[in-house]
Amino acid sequence: MSPVLLLTASCRAVHLGDLGNLARVIWQFLSLSLFSLGGGNTLLAEYHHLSVDKFCWLTSSQFADLYALAEAAPGPSSMIVGLLGLGAGWPEGPFWALLSGYGAELAILLPSTLVMVMACLSWRHFEHSPWRMAFERGMGPITLGILFAVGLKIVRTADVTRAGQLSVPGVIVSLVVCVLMLRTRISPLWFMAIAGVLGAAGLINR
Amino acid sequence: MTEPAPAPLAPAPDLRQLFVGMLQVALSAFGGGLSAWSQRIVVEQKRWMSDEEFLTGLTVARLFPGPNQINMAVYIGANFRGLPGALAALAGMLLVPFTLLMALGLLYFSVHTLPAVDRVLAGVVAAAAGMALSMGFKILGEYRKDPVALGLAALVFVALAFGHLRLVPVVLVSGPIAMAWYWPRRPVEP
Repeated sequence: MSPVLLLTASCRAVHLGDLGNLARVIWQFLSLSLFSLGGGNTLLAEYHHLSVDKFCWLTSSQFADLYALAEAAPGPSSMIVGLLGLGAGWPEGPFWALLSGYGAELAILLPSTLVMVMACLSWRHFEHSPWRMAFERGMGPITLGILFAVGLKIVRTADVTRAGQLSVPGVIVSLVVCVLMLRTRISPLWFMAIAGVLGAAGLINR
Repeated sequence: MTEPAPAPLAPAPDLRQLFVGMLQVALSAFGGGLSAWSQRIVVEQKRWMSDEEFLTGLTVARLFPGPNQINMAVYIGANFRGLPGALAALAGMLLVPFTLLMALGLLYFSVHTLPAVDRVLAGVVAAAAGMALSMGFKILGEYRKDPVALGLAALVFVALAFGHLRLVPVVLVSGPIAMAWYWPRRPVEP
């Protein structure tokens, strides 16, 4: 238990009060929105940086839990932002937590939605523009690089023990799931369910 | 008659119909397959748009920032009713799953310190990390024959994972370089 307490204590949250906290949550996600290339998962490492390292809303293992929750729950997995907002507001009580959760989700979606609406209304004008071609082809490799960095970051967040060391059984499960995701069409819910059972049996520690 | 004429499209949906239609997509997709359901309901059942318009939407949704499935809802709504339509479609798409997720989140923060819950989560999280790890490999094949793309991706990866640089500056620097390299050399056919 104590190492976790130590780790949390080492991250000092600057307390702004409930409204100040809400405003900060909303501003942080508003300013990231337009950088969600390639479907939004590219922002996961930034979310970790904000909520764990910078503002201490969550511990690293709580972040991993919320990521898994958002992947397992029905609906777009990009809704993890709502869970991070919820975590940021949790110390102020459930009411502020929910407000902060809804606020965070609205904030991450609003700028990209406005751009998308403008894009739909003027698509005919730039469908064949060189800007569009260059953007589409140029952003692909960048997205590829980001996704590998995000994958590594999530593995390093999820598969660690309380003492901060890499959990070997955890890494093995992650690698097996990664291969199965690429080679089979089995629903990932099965992988999470089976790994949950392994965890309950004490085979995957952290 | 060589081939049957395509069935005529339905009249453009109003805000309420957009909201209800996207709600229907979200509810049908419980358990996965959001984009397949959205095509089935919007194109085949409701006949709001043709297959071709829907595919254009997917292209636009993937190109612009934002989660693909959510951008697709925005495209469908904006296509018919502009910004209000986009917001109605978005609300329909997110209302039920997001509320459910918030309830799950409240439950999580109330019980996650229980040892039994923590043990189960330790396993679930390892599997979820495997899913995150597979994302890059999934699109790696597209760039197999493009060494410049692979080099660019490797630079971005190293900058983020080992250089401890943040995403925003990395994208702001590498983005224009990549766009300049991939600028179409021949004039684009209209």
